[in-house]
Amino acid sequence: MTDLPGSGASRRTLLKGAALGAAAVMMPAVWSPSRAAGKRIVVRDDGGIYTKAYGAVFYKPFTEKTGIEVVGVQASAEPTAQIKSMVETKNYTWDMAKISKPAILMLTTGDTLYLEKHGLESDPVIATIPQQYMSPYGVGTNVYTTVLAYRTDAFKGKAAPSSWADFWNVKDFPGRRSVRKHPFDTIEEAIMATGVPTSQVYPCDVDKAFAKLDAIKPYVAVWWTSGALVEQVLASGEVDMIPTWVSRAQAAQAKGAPVEIIWNQGIWGGDHWSILAGTPNADACREFIKFASDPKRMAALTEFFPAGVTQPAAFDYIKPEIAKSCPTYPANIASGLQIDAAYWLKNQAAVIERFNSWILS
Amino acid sequence: MAALPPSSSARARAAARKKRLGRALMAAPLVVLLLAFLVYPVGQLLALSVWGKAGFSLAAYQQLFASPLYFNVMLITLKISFFTTVLSVVGGYPIAYLISVASPERKATLLFWVLLSFWTSFLVRAFAWIVILGRRGVLNHLLTSLGIIDTPADLLYNFGSVLVGMVHALMPLAILTMLAVMENIDRTLPRAASTLGARPGTAFWKIYFPLSLPGVAAAAIMVFVTAIGFFIVPALLGGRRETMITQLIIDQVLQTLNWGFAGAISVLLLLVVLVVFVLYDKLLGLSSMTGTSAPRAATARPQGFGHRIGDAILTLLGDVSDRIIAVFPRGRRDGAKPPRPLVAFVWIVLVLMSLPAVLMIPLSFGSGGLNWPPQGFTLQWYREMLDSPVWAQALTRSLLVGLGTGVLSMLIGTPAAFLLVRGDMRGKGAMLAFVLSPIVVPRMIIAVGLFYMFARIGLVGTALGLVLGHTVVAVPYVVMTMMAVLRNYDTRLDLAAQSLGARPLATLRYVTLPILGAGMMSSFLFAFATSFDELTIALFASGGLNATLPKQFWDEVTLQVSPVIAAVSTCLFVFIAVLIFAADRLRRRSVAS
Repeated sequence: MTDLPGSGASRRTLLKGAALGAAAVMMPAVWSPSRAAGKRIVVRDDGGIYTKAYGAVFYKPFTEKTGIEVVGVQASAEPTAQIKSMVETKNYTWDMAKISKPAILMLTTGDTLYLEKHGLESDPVIATIPQQYMSPYGVGTNVYTTVLAYRTDAFKGKAAPSSWADFWNVKDFPGRRSVRKHPFDTIEEAIMATGVPTSQVYPCDVDKAFAKLDAIKPYVAVWWTSGALVEQVLASGEVDMIPTWVSRAQAAQAKGAPVEIIWNQGIWGGDHWSILAGTPNADACREFIKFASDPKRMAALTEFFPAGVTQPAAFDYIKPEIAKSCPTYPANIASGLQIDAAYWLKNQAAVIERFNSWILS
Repeated sequence: MAALPPSSSARARAAARKKRLGRALMAAPLVVLLLAFLVYPVGQLLALSVWGKAGFSLAAYQQLFASPLYFNVMLITLKISFFTTVLSVVGGYPIAYLISVASPERKATLLFWVLLSFWTSFLVRAFAWIVILGRRGVLNHLLTSLGIIDTPADLLYNFGSVLVGMVHALMPLAILTMLAVMENIDRTLPRAASTLGARPGTAFWKIYFPLSLPGVAAAAIMVFVTAIGFFIVPALLGGRRETMITQLIIDQVLQTLNWGFAGAISVLLLLVVLVVFVLYDKLLGLSSMTGTSAPRAATARPQGFGHRIGDAILTLLGDVSDRIIAVFPRGRRDGAKPPRPLVAFVWIVLVLMSLPAVLMIPLSFGSGGLNWPPQGFTLQWYREMLDSPVWAQALTRSLLVGLGTGVLSMLIGTPAAFLLVRGDMRGKGAMLAFVLSPIVVPRMIIAVGLFYMFARIGLVGTALGLVLGHTVVAVPYVVMTMMAVLRNYDTRLDLAAQSLGARPLATLRYVTLPILGAGMMSSFLFAFATSFDELTIALFASGGLNATLPKQFWDEVTLQVSPVIAAVSTCLFVFIAVLIFAADRLRRRSVAS
């Protein structure tokens, strides 16, 4: 990507072509986005309820305080390709993004740095965020967890599963199972199912994981590929147990589906506010990050959904019954496993290929 | 007098130059469009498969052939695409036939039902199939409550459910492509055959069917190359084995950011499609795809071995259907009315096609999410939809982009189709492959390439960018449809007009265009519908700003599946129905006055 050619001449030709096209369809000028630098920052977030909650808790109050407009936009799940293009072409459709640790690593490993160092570590607001949620290129703002979820109606009067080992135990815990059609998290689950403690999961023993996966393969009713599908199969009762992003299981619960969440051995990773390298609005972004890292403000997110707040002090303002459903609730983090982004960055290509071959065989 | 020959040859040369210029002008818009917004951006990305940071390298291809995975997935992809094609064309043929013989009013109704599924996002459709086929879905519910089965059957997440989803998505494409050709078949020919004593079955199979073959061929190739690039539908409805090659490419692009390898898999896909295309051309004698052999086929039929077999099969089919028809007691009607079993079949297929969209209506008023059966009654989802202005904005934007795409692709595609069918030029096959390339190139690769380019010229997030991107993917449908129509068009009509003194423009205005109207309408609808249902380019090229309808649907389900999408698709349903009804009323009034 770094060596894609881009000469001024070809750009001019293209502009001409574009102008021609514009004339052809007679596009009114009002269609193109206009924004004054410094007056507006565009933030990539996860959309849906996030855009709604962030809008109410972060974006609007920030605009009221500073006069800087914040626009939240949603893009594909891992927007690394878009960020790379924006930074390389120096055309900042977004100024900052909420992205995962693996995405940060991918954008900052190698010759070109696509993200800006925030340099906020010693800022009084940021300094209270625990190290495990931080990166030089991102300030932790959320945590997402992959948990085991099951339908309570399928285990009425019976023992319900409470670990990955139980999920693999088809004899004592009969029921329809669904597994993600992707090695991320699935490999870790299989390893924990063999009895390996969370502290020793990484580096993953991939052979062991696939051997364990072989055992469950015939019992998997649905191989899921997207979160939307998880929510659907869980809410409709198509499957009885499923490893899923906790937000999906909680969405199914909110709809009234009889779903229980097992936090034990949950696999969690951090989401961070990151600034695109070279954006002219970097300082406005820093102001926004500080603003959005206030514990009380973070706590306000839980009025919309059980957010993975990264400020321990935020729990002082969160209702106890909601706090337990937050991915960063101390007990949930303590029994969980933090995703090793560096491990996956190094091994993902080989493991994905092996997983794809395995699933076809 | 001695000066005359040179001047006349100069005039001939000038005429030839003018002809060449005209030809170039006809092809130029399409070529420029594809060069600028397909070849350049995609070429950049594909070049990375051999040209990495360390210079020239074939490492990506070594990796590709080191594992049998990519070959296997390619085979699965071909298998799914093949069956999708067969089912779409075979199932779509009777529908296209019925529409082509229907009266104008009925035609509008039938087309409405065919296109209905296009107006609902493919995401909603996929979800609808999940609701229909799931273990606690509509079908299982029905079968168990009727006592036909005791335990719910596994209808989802297998090869069959993928086929259902894909055929559902692609059958309208097949129907519209075949329809464009059937509209132009001279109805007097089968009637003449009947007059000469052919029974209806024979008249159909030996006269009508061969005439409709260009449409069948065009539909098949279009459906096939489109199917090969699908990924979201198979991912949502498929099981363990239903992995499509595009999914692997997307993994490389989004997850591992390995452009080189993504490029290598894309090259494999492109090659396979090219081979399939060539084989198809050779085996089925579809050189008519390029238009060259159409006149020859019409005048002197080739008497090859294959042709004799084909003829024998058609004779047999005609005979068999005549016997079947003879079994059914049937009042003596003239051939104007289509047989009842055909009408019944068509309506069954149309009901199945509309089912997902119709299913959304009860679900949109229920409080239990997208589950069957709907529970309670609530207007909550409609309120939520109206509360946020994003849906109305998305609809407006989608309509504008769709119209822009429709108009632009017509303007660009139609002259190119004329050239490909009428012009006698070398390299038609290559030109056709070039025209088709936007369908074959994985959408994700186009989207990312365009995004990269748009970012540099400030088109990200603009409607113009989307129109350009959508036109690139829609224009092949326009060209193919128009070609199929033009191939059946009797050029002698033009000659007749010209010999009666009409100038070329007048001929075009009063003879050619009115006859081609139906085909042009089909291809406009295609381009519009392609844009209206396009997600991948919208995801990237919009940079997340100013969502189109499919993008808005996507955003909605990315984090939470709420029945708001059912409410929106119900509103769309009503909106389109009203629009079509109004257009129909207007048309009738203008006819009456």
